Amino acid sequence: MKAIRSVLIVLVAVVLLAACGKGKKPDEQAFLKSLDSAKKGPSIDEEVINSILQQIPSPLEISVLLKESGTKYNFGLLNTPDNLSKYNSNYKKALNLGIYGTDLGYTNIYQQNQDGIKYLASIKSLANELNIGQFFDIETIGRLATNSKNLDSLLLITTQNFNDINHYLQTQGRANLSVLLLTGGWLEAMQITCQVAVKDPKNKELREKIGEQKIILEQIVLLFSFYKDDENMASLLKDLEELKAAFDKINITYTYKESTMEVVNGVAVIKDNSTTTIDITEKDVQNITTITNTIRKKIAS
Amino acid sequence: MKKVISSLLLVSMIGFSLPLASQCNPDNFANACIPKLASGFNFLKSYKVDGEGGAKDKVEYSYVFTKGTQYMINLCANGSATDGIVVTLFDSGRNKVATSKINGQFISAIAYPCNATGIYYIQYTFDGSSEKCGGSALGFKR
Repeated sequence: MKAIRSVLIVLVAVVLLAACGKGKKPDEQAFLKSLDSAKKGPSIDEEVINSILQQIPSPLEISVLLKESGTKYNFGLLNTPDNLSKYNSNYKKALNLGIYGTDLGYTNIYQQNQDGIKYLASIKSLANELNIGQFFDIETIGRLATNSKNLDSLLLITTQNFNDINHYLQTQGRANLSVLLLTGGWLEAMQITCQVAVKDPKNKELREKIGEQKIILEQIVLLFSFYKDDENMASLLKDLEELKAAFDKINITYTYKESTMEVVNGVAVIKDNSTTTIDITEKDVQNITTITNTIRKKIAS
Repeated sequence: MKKVISSLLLVSMIGFSLPLASQCNPDNFANACIPKLASGFNFLKSYKVDGEGGAKDKVEYSYVFTKGTQYMINLCANGSATDGIVVTLFDSGRNKVATSKINGQFISAIAYPCNATGIYYIQYTFDGSSEKCGGSALGFKR
């Protein structure tokens, strides 16, 4: 009878342990322990935060625009991978992981593989320090980066890796790091675009590209407003609000007109008849560039 | 007492196996959709479409689409091409911009050359879907 009772206790304990520990690997626990920033969660539902986070577009879109508009590759626009040792807090690590992610995408789009490999090393190091290194398949990425014919696969795998990281952070209730990562990536893409636009002030497409970032910045500011209790994030929010004030001068007018559709080779091809007009002056671009550079400098150096 | 242990074991086994048997695995469909993006499109996001066995009548995501960029959204499901899953695109004012159900026909991909920058809602619904389970991928090209 005693033996049967022991068996029962062990069985119940096993079932309970399996249920409680579901999805929590040792590395995840270590990760949660290691966080030194924003330990206090926001008062708002994490689902709301995640739904805003997923809206933020990939910085890769801007790199493709720059390359296809004939802008030459410029390593000097990027954050040097050697700055790695400066990032000692998880706050800075997450932001600069985002920055380096954008820089890696930029080098990939321009097929500057040697530079890309340097960023990979810094990314891997930051990701490891944040206990999310398992999402970077550095060997595969490194191998793909050595051959320009692998560009599509390289872009695919790096995008997937960053998506996986963001998803992981959000499901672990650490969306604050995901906010920082995406903000770092967005700021770097902004900074690159602004530098290029300032040198080419008559380029209307680039000016508009900067102007339309108003929509994304509004979402980022909203995200940061949920983390006001965190000293670092509150400080960055103040800077982002200054940037938002500069963007508030830009008018974006949207006009909806019903689209038309036709099926071509099994694909529904849409003709979008809606339009947006973006009113942004050269002075607006200069103002936005100055503020963006100041914020980016604070974060990256 | 032996009966109690056997019952407990049985209940535990059923408890562990049930979710596996009935669960939708949208990750597999979403991953399968990525290589199906048309040539020239760069992958951006993959989306899980899980109707939770009928508990949900729609699944929605959002993304900022930008003027001058062409986007592609495709659908993957078990069995027939889309298994009745329809993707519909709405602008920030909830105006319908595109749908994958045209003249009663279920199309497995939408190509959307965006002419107006803004937040768009990507909504998946189930129209006669048997499994209410699938995946989708979003790509872009300039």
